[in-house]
Amino acid sequence: MKFILLTGVEWKKLRRSRILLIMGMAAVMLWIPSIINAHLNFEMQAEGISPEHNFLIQGFMGMAWFMFPAGMVVSTVLLAQTERSNHGILRMLVLPVSTAKLCMAKFVILLILAAIQMMMMTGMYFLSAAVASRTQGYEFLLSPIFVLKLVGVLYVSAFPMIAFFWMLSVCIHTPIFSVGLGLASIVPSVLMINTKLWFVYPMDYPFYIITAEYGKLASNLSEIRMEPVPWIPAAAVFTGICLAAACVYFGKEERR
Amino acid sequence: MKLTLEYKKIKRTGIVPGCLAGGILAAAVPILELAVRSEQYTQLRQSPLRTIMQADWQMMSMLNMLLVITIACMMYHTEYADNAVGRMITLPLREEKIFFGKCFLLSGMCAVVLIIEMLSIIFCTLRWFGGEEGAYTAFYGASFASAYMKFVRDLAYNFGYCFCMLLPVVILSLLVASACKNMWVSLGIDVVCLFMATMIPVRYFALSVFPFALPFQILEEANAGRAVQYLTAAMIEIIIIGAAETVFLKVRRAAA
Repeated sequence: MKFILLTGVEWKKLRRSRILLIMGMAAVMLWIPSIINAHLNFEMQAEGISPEHNFLIQGFMGMAWFMFPAGMVVSTVLLAQTERSNHGILRMLVLPVSTAKLCMAKFVILLILAAIQMMMMTGMYFLSAAVASRTQGYEFLLSPIFVLKLVGVLYVSAFPMIAFFWMLSVCIHTPIFSVGLGLASIVPSVLMINTKLWFVYPMDYPFYIITAEYGKLASNLSEIRMEPVPWIPAAAVFTGICLAAACVYFGKEERR
Repeated sequence: MKLTLEYKKIKRTGIVPGCLAGGILAAAVPILELAVRSEQYTQLRQSPLRTIMQADWQMMSMLNMLLVITIACMMYHTEYADNAVGRMITLPLREEKIFFGKCFLLSGMCAVVLIIEMLSIIFCTLRWFGGEEGAYTAFYGASFASAYMKFVRDLAYNFGYCFCMLLPVVILSLLVASACKNMWVSLGIDVVCLFMATMIPVRYFALSVFPFALPFQILEEANAGRAVQYLTAAMIEIIIIGAAETVFLKVRRAAA
C-alpha cells in the first residue's frame, strides 16, 4: 500500500472523534484572556516591547508552554485508543503492510493534527488581535509574514517533542503512564529553559523559541541566543531515537 | 463495600503505582529547587513552610492536578473501554453510588499524594532551614518541643487546606470523565480547563474560585477571612457539581 493511501486511511479513522472540536475550543480559550487583558499590554513598555508584540508573545507563550504540548498528548491518546478499543489494531496488523510504515503513517497524522492546532491558534490570534484593536483603539495586528514565520519555526521545533509523545504512547501500554508521563514532562520545561542544557530537553523547544523571540523584541531584556550547533543535532538525534523506538515497538504487544 | 469494589476495578490499571509515582515526582520539586538554589531561600526570615510553598507550590499543584485529571479519566476509561459500564448499570446498584465511590477513592489517593509531598517538605525544612541559625528556629522559637508542636500544626493546617482545594478538581474531572465516553474528549476538556486556570490573574477573587484554579491557593498567602471564603467556595462547588452529576446521570439514564 502506498504511504499516502495509508495516511489517508488513518485520517479517515479520526472522523467523529471530535478532536477538532476540542482543538478549536482550546484555540478560542487561549486568546480570550488576551482580549480581556488587552489593556495590560500598554504597561509592558518598561521592558521595551511594543504592545502589539507583547500581545502576540504573551498569547503564544501560553500556547507553547502548555496548551500545544498538552493538545498533542491528547492527540496521542486519541490515536492509541481508536485502535486499541475493539481491537482494531489486530485487523491493521494482518494487512500486508510493514508495521513501521503503519507507525510512521500515524506519526504523520499526529504532525497533521499539530499543524491544524497551530493553524487554529494562529487564526484565532489574527481574530483576537483584530478584536483587541477595535476595543483598545490601537493597532494590535502584526504583519502576517512575521507571525507565520514564527509559527513555522515553532511548528518545526515541536517535532522532537511530538516524536517523544508518540514513542510514549506506542511503547507504554498502560494509558495512565503514557499520558501521565507526557503531561508531567511538560511542566519542567519552565525550569529547563533557564538552564544551559535546554537543548537536551525537547519538550521546551517551542517555549524556548518564544522566550528567545521575546528577548529579541524587548530591548530591555537580556537576549537569549539560539545556538544552532548543539541544538539541531541534539534534536535530530532525539527525534530519530524516539521514532525508531516507536517503529520497533509498534504492534509488538498485539503480535505476541 | 463500594469503595473496595472501586478499588478492585483499578487494581490492574496501574493507577496506584502511577499515583505514588506522581506524588514522588511532585515531592521532588522542592528538594531539587532547594538543592540547586538554597542560598536564595535560606536567608529569608519567615516561616520555612511559607518560603517553600511560595517557591514551589505552583508547580507542585500543577503536577497534582495533572495526576488527578489523568486518574479520573482512567477510572472511567476502564468502565467505558469494554462496555463494562453496561454491566454495571444492569446491577441492582445506583450509578451515583459508583460515581461517589470513585470520588472517595480518588480523594483518598489525593491524600496519599499530599502526604508524600508533606514528607518532602518536612525533609526540606529540617535539611535547609533546621540549623542553629536557620529560619525554623528563628520562626518557631528555640525550645524543641513547642517549636515542634507549632510546626506540626502549621503543616497540618496547610495540607488540610490544600486537600480541600483539590477536592473540587477531583469531583469536576470525574464529572467530565463520566460524561464523555472517549478518554481523549474528557482529557482534552480537563486540559483546556486547567490551562484556563493558569491564565487567571490572581487578583480577581470571583475568577479564582474556578475549580481548577483553587489548588494554586496556599494558606500562607491567604488571611483568615480569605481562607474561609475559599473553603466555602470549594464546599459549594463540591455540592453543586455532585448535584449536577446526579441530575446528569438520571437524565442520561432516562434518555438511553
